[in-house]
Amino acid sequence: MGHGGGGHEIGAHKLAQFAGLTFNLDTLYMTWLTMAIVIFLAVIATRRVEIVPRGWQNILEMAVTALLDQIDNNMGPKGRKLAPIIITLFLFLLVGNELGLVPGFTSPTNDINTTLGLALMIVVLVHVVGAIHRGPVRYFKHFFEPYIPFVIINIVEEVAKPITLSFRLFGNILAGEILLIILGMLVPYVIPTAWLAFSVFVGVVQAFIFTILSVSYLSNSLKDEH
Amino acid sequence: MVDLNATLIAQIINFLILVAILTKVAYKPLMKALADRQAKIADSLETAEQERQAAEKLRQEYLAQLAEARTQAQVIVEKAAKLAEQTKEEILKEAREESARLLKVTQEEIARERELALAELKGEVVTLAVAAASKIVSQNMDDAANARIVEDFITNLDGKKIGGLPC
Repeated sequence: MGHGGGGHEIGAHKLAQFAGLTFNLDTLYMTWLTMAIVIFLAVIATRRVEIVPRGWQNILEMAVTALLDQIDNNMGPKGRKLAPIIITLFLFLLVGNELGLVPGFTSPTNDINTTLGLALMIVVLVHVVGAIHRGPVRYFKHFFEPYIPFVIINIVEEVAKPITLSFRLFGNILAGEILLIILGMLVPYVIPTAWLAFSVFVGVVQAFIFTILSVSYLSNSLKDEH
Repeated sequence: MVDLNATLIAQIINFLILVAILTKVAYKPLMKALADRQAKIADSLETAEQERQAAEKLRQEYLAQLAEARTQAQVIVEKAAKLAEQTKEEILKEAREESARLLKVTQEEIARERELALAELKGEVVTLAVAAASKIVSQNMDDAANARIVEDFITNLDGKKIGGLPC
């Protein structure tokens, strides 16, 4: 993998060993920074919650009510319990995706560990919610329906979910950052700026897609019939 | 570039920590605000609807009262007109009767007075005639002739000279 200018290494991570496990240090730093920014935004938005919203509260409420609408429409009233996870997912991905566009920072989502971790978490949640909602026996029986051989298709589908979910986000963000650096080296100024603006858009869209697909997977496990 | 390691687990834990923190600091107050606002709007709408219904009810009551008042006024006016008509008829009848009675009384009075006047006049005329005759004829004839002449005279008077009044 080529090295970007200024010693900025794309795709290569500073590694740290801890208790026999390997961690990508820069990803963790950026994750914590993202968490700090999200918490900061959420706190200043809800520091003085008012009946008539103003300023940041308005912006956060807009995002939250838009997501709540999606949750209510797709999952029904039971989805409200999962709303904190969905909203946090969106805010985290939104801030994380845009963070890599700030010079000197990288996105936590340009690491497959982050995106696959989140996707696996969602898929596990899907199965847990489904098992709780329909009862474990009925839930696992539905993988063998309508005929037993369908279990192969169903398992492929279940495996494909986290992979497509995580690689879509990972690929979009990493490719955007790589292209930004390469364009900066090849054709300075105008085209990188245009690509930067597009990357901002891509970051928002990918955060939304990841969130909405998660909502869609979760809603399937909350439905009674297929 | 796509090497998986323990960061994956760390990211899940990080995310769950973020969910916990945000739930505590942001979502609870925010959800409460949303619920409060929803309740307030629903409350306001309900109050407005109730007030609208109350106003509508009042309006209907007023309209009903107005219609009733109109009907009553109509009845009163009709009654008054009828009463006035009746009173007019009565007054007219009484007046007619009164005038008829007065006319009758007056006619009787007049008749009586005339009879009286005629009787008086007769006496006066006889006396006057005798006095006048005795003055004209300085020398009395015999009483019988006198009386006859006077009688004659008066009888003639009755028919021609005294205005033709029926006696």
